[in-house]
Amino acid sequence: MNQRGSLDIRNVGKHYEVDGQRLDVLDDVDLKVEPGSFISLVGPSGCGKSTLLRLIVGLDDEYSGEILLDGRRVSGTSLDRGIVFQDHRLLPWLTLEENIGLALLNAELPEDEKRRTVAEHIALVGLKGFETAYPHQLSGGMAQRAAIARGLVGRPEILLLDEPLGALDALTRVRLQEEILRIWRAEKVTMILVTHDVDEAIYLSDRVVVMNTGPGRIVRELDVDLPQPRDRATHAFVDLKRQVLEHMGEYVHAEAA
Amino acid sequence: MSTTNILAERSPPARTEPLTSRLARLLGGANLIGAVLPLGLLVLWQTATSLRWIQPVFLPSPLATVQAFWTMLTRQNLHVDFTASILIVSQAFVYGAALAVALGIAAGLSRNVERFLGPTFDTIRHIPGIAWLPLIVLWLGIGAPAKVLVIAKSVFFPVFLNTLQGIRDVEKRYIELADVLTLTRWQLVRKVILPAAVPSIMVSLRYSAGVAWALVVVAEGLSGLEGIGYLIFRAQGLLLTDQLVVCMVIIGAVGFTIDRAMLALQRYVLRWKQGFEG
Ligand SMILES: Nc1ncnc2c1ncn2[C@@H]1O[C@H](COP(=O)(O)OP(=O)(O)OP(=O)(O)O)[C@@H](O)[C@H]1O
Ligand SMILES: [Mg+2]
Repeated sequence: MNQRGSLDIRNVGKHYEVDGQRLDVLDDVDLKVEPGSFISLVGPSGCGKSTLLRLIVGLDDEYSGEILLDGRRVSGTSLDRGIVFQDHRLLPWLTLEENIGLALLNAELPEDEKRRTVAEHIALVGLKGFETAYPHQLSGGMAQRAAIARGLVGRPEILLLDEPLGALDALTRVRLQEEILRIWRAEKVTMILVTHDVDEAIYLSDRVVVMNTGPGRIVRELDVDLPQPRDRATHAFVDLKRQVLEHMGEYVHAEAA
Repeated sequence: MSTTNILAERSPPARTEPLTSRLARLLGGANLIGAVLPLGLLVLWQTATSLRWIQPVFLPSPLATVQAFWTMLTRQNLHVDFTASILIVSQAFVYGAALAVALGIAAGLSRNVERFLGPTFDTIRHIPGIAWLPLIVLWLGIGAPAKVLVIAKSVFFPVFLNTLQGIRDVEKRYIELADVLTLTRWQLVRKVILPAAVPSIMVSLRYSAGVAWALVVVAEGLSGLEGIGYLIFRAQGLLLTDQLVVCMVIIGAVGFTIDRAMLALQRYVLRWKQGFEG
């Protein structure tokens, strides 16, 4: 179906200058993402996951190497590339529906179509009835769901999710994982999810990309060849989880202890 | 796309407080405690004058003050002076604030505009409004325009500086969001930058409304033949202490009203903001 949304990251490096000191944040990052696939990025805090997403979405052009979307070099931001930030980043002075509608401000849709789509996405993340609420009246989890709705409403080719389920309770989290899967299948959107939850990564994605620090780099890519729907209790699932943790260095520490 | 909602729906928060309870809160409760001190002072004032601790020529009794108020209102056209002062203040406030917000936005959005205006403004700003009055009266006469101009100047600077700062303080992450959503420059200003600057603008508006009212009294006292400020200095000259106190009470009451009105406006405009309510 949709053949757009292929991402090709080639030899990407990124550094910041902090007090005149060079701080390497990403080093030689190579990653190929097929159209419509679901990739998870896992890795310790500070290994450059958010930084990588910022580069892909086009917020920062100062890096070495190349990032290609559908064969063309990414430059600046575009409605083809959506992001759900690690902090929900709702504008406090706009109501929930205005916040989500903001993503459609420059979409080529008639006004009533925009209103319908916004209402649809509010329902999708279970926030019906809160359309006119301001962000400070929402719980952390509700705000994150609103941010997901805002990321989806413009129907990007590729959606980057930076720990979008971090502030949710276990039950809502599982429900939203199902919801994300459902949306992903329905919309054929390419998804890149950053998460600290290895279970979540394996449950959702086609491939888990493990990163590590010093400087931030990809240490391993693991294909998830488990049939959908996945059962977190199966041997294969647990085995894969052990492998991911191993590459993240967790098991090494556990064994050393 | 299907819109089935697998999450249990929760009921929306009860956000609209009934009008009656809001009124009750405004008038009663917290505000009763605010009335204790003024009432106590009134009692002290009455006692001090009835027991003759202070001569009437230095401090007339509350009753004599009310009588003086009535006399001024019925025989000396107090309302004319009152209206004159209010008119000057409102005009000065509207002109000064409108120009300040406009230029503040321009300077906030463009470093060049800021660099262009900066040195001039920072110099003019330090010459107090009242110091401008003699020169401006020379040009415009002792009528209202000179006072409007001088007060507008004093309203202008706090609002200008706060608008500029409010715009510069917009969080970078919101600008990034606008970037990701591919907002145009104008959309960015309207949807992100201005709303983000509004809290800072509102604070300066409330502050300078108070300043404007205080200044009109001074300006009228220094030049002209009408207004509350004129009355107060005339009363001093004629040793009409009761009229002087009437003027003082009016000035205080109007100042109080202006401040509360600005506060209400601020609360309304910033209803999206969750503040510390004590
Ligand atoms: N603007 C910046 N200036 C300097 N250093 C920065 C900047 N932004 C990020 N860094 C550094 O880059 C590194 C990677 O940050 P990044 O936010 O990408 O980590 P992360 O993998 O998303 O971590 P987390 O899981 O905690 O969100 C960190 O060491 C951080 O200190
Ligand atoms: Mg991060």
